Amino acid sequence: MTVESAIRIENLGMVYPGGVRALEDVTLEVHTGEFLAVLGLSGSGKSTLLRCINRLIDPTEGRVWILGEEITGAKGGRLRNMRRQAAMIFQQFNLVKRHTVLTNVLSGALGRSPLASSLVLSFPPEEHERAIAALERVGLGDRFTSRADALSGGQQQRVAIARALMQEPRLILADEPVASLDPALRHSVMRHIEALNRDEGMTVMCSLHDIDLVTRYATRMVALRDGRLVWEGVPDEFDQRTFKEIYGEDAQPASNTGF
Amino acid sequence: MGPKDDRGVRAAAWERNLARLQATAVDAVLLGITLLMVEFLVLAFSGRRGPTGLLLSAEQILDLLHYAWAAGGGLALALLWNLFHRQLGSSLGRAWVRGVPDWEAPLEWTQTLRGWFTAIFIELTFFSGWLITELDLLTFLTKFGKAADIVRGLMHPSGAVLHEGLVLLVQTIFLAFMATAFAIPVAFVLAFPSARNLTRNTLTARIAYTLARTLMNFVRAVEPLVWALIFISWVGIGPFAGVLALWVHSVAALTKLYSEQIESIDTGPMEAIAATGASSLQVLRFGVVPQVIPPFLSFTIYRWDINVRMSTIIGFVGGGGIGYILKPRVDLGEWGEVGTLVLLIAGTVWLMDVISAKIRERIV
Ligand SMILES: Nc1ncnc2c1ncn2[C@@H]1O[C@H](COP(=O)(O)OP(=O)(O)O)[C@@H](O)[C@H]1O
Ligand SMILES: [Mg+2]
Repeated sequence: MTVESAIRIENLGMVYPGGVRALEDVTLEVHTGEFLAVLGLSGSGKSTLLRCINRLIDPTEGRVWILGEEITGAKGGRLRNMRRQAAMIFQQFNLVKRHTVLTNVLSGALGRSPLASSLVLSFPPEEHERAIAALERVGLGDRFTSRADALSGGQQQRVAIARALMQEPRLILADEPVASLDPALRHSVMRHIEALNRDEGMTVMCSLHDIDLVTRYATRMVALRDGRLVWEGVPDEFDQRTFKEIYGEDAQPASNTGF
Repeated sequence: MGPKDDRGVRAAAWERNLARLQATAVDAVLLGITLLMVEFLVLAFSGRRGPTGLLLSAEQILDLLHYAWAAGGGLALALLWNLFHRQLGSSLGRAWVRGVPDWEAPLEWTQTLRGWFTAIFIELTFFSGWLITELDLLTFLTKFGKAADIVRGLMHPSGAVLHEGLVLLVQTIFLAFMATAFAIPVAFVLAFPSARNLTRNTLTARIAYTLARTLMNFVRAVEPLVWALIFISWVGIGPFAGVLALWVHSVAALTKLYSEQIESIDTGPMEAIAATGASSLQVLRFGVVPQVIPPFLSFTIYRWDINVRMSTIIGFVGGGGIGYILKPRVDLGEWGEVGTLVLLIAGTVWLMDVISAKIRERIV
């Protein structure tokens, strides 16, 4: 292996306990430093794929490597260490609502914090400095004492990005990070994720369903349909025909600005 | 493909047989009870007299019933009904387990055997219930005189026990408080293994869940009054026994409430914390605890409120608190003093209720 890939996925399959097959034989490589967009209709398996990568759910078939190390089958401290390398950003932000913004960001450091003191929400001063710095980067330096649920959706997602930054990861897994935000606010959040990719050199794998956003931010894209990988390419190659291939014959692009 | 289909067919057949068995069992129980009620009513109206020459009492009749025959008869009838369900229509058990078949759905209840059976069953239940519990409307309406003494006493509370009552009221409140406070940490720890959503993943977790649930269901099934009797013979009469009794019961009740709360949390923050590489204790601390603290507090205050009420009853059997001096006054018919104590209790309960409602409002 000369150029180590950031994520390698081999023959990944997932059947949920109820019997729903969400992924089938997905093989995929995410290159170091790229911004990979994952497209697909809702229900096509995007969330399942992202969650299998950091093992929030256990895939039923196949193997996954993160930064050259196999995460499938990893346990305990080894699994946690690998999770630290891959921060996740969620559609619903998933902040701890009753904690302050600062504590939410500090929780990004849990993986490297001593257990006992972290359980009483106590973190060393240098972590506080890092957290404040992360909040300043997402433009919320003055809000660190607010309760997380006092913030607007866009601000909450920026706190979640600061939490991801706090983790000092090498990968970002983002699951429709702007889908529950006002369209007008989407770029303000996407630009922060783009900055992590461009300035920090973090590899980003991000599911999106807005074609405009994909062509604007992604360096490469893959598409899922019914749990299978149906398309791989760069945004420039994306056209009407691929659109129909991914979304089905009946689909219409919501706007034609993307093509 | 072949063996898989086979397994599917066998599973379906197995499920059908299980459903038949369940339906017949339900019917057997219902029909058995019906036979017993019919026998009871026949005996009650037959005019039979006991050895003393008086009409048989309800208890004597209950003693005479042929339980084994009723069980056998019920089972036989249930088997027949389920065997001939095409001619007789679905039995209650069958309708319950497998649903009503389409052709029966439009029928009125008077057009089905099941409907008539249900109606008769309900009639019989009320009829025999009336006799067994010896309801007597006439006495209820005409013999109020004696009770009026009590009501008069309650309306004219005597000052004689006011001092003692107030002292024991303080004891009651603290008794309830200590029981609740000591129950919190135990219930808090037990609530996590008792929550289904946290205990699905590993075998140890599932075993812990089963153990915790079984133990708590058992403890909760035993009334606080019974716990009081147990602890009185353990540590002697007095408030300490009352604290222990309420403590045990509160642990079980709070564990159930807490774990239900844990089961209904938003799993999003849990996932987010786990994704940072946090350990499972950290996931609990950050992803679960902040979500459940406010409802936990609210349940706990409510529990304290309940414990104040319960400690009165516990006191009746010797578990300390105000109930302890209430009992002898009831026995002696000192209604004025009983009135004072009842008013003290009612006032406290009302106050606790108002305060706990206010606090809970603020927390959630
Ligand atoms: N926890 C679950 N249990 C059972 N089925 C699920 C679960 N989560 C998702 N699925 C199913 O898996 C398929 C893929 O879902 P998902 O990965 O959420 O797709 P997407 O993120 O692209 O909308 C869907 O059919 C969905 O219903
Ligand atoms: Mg999704």
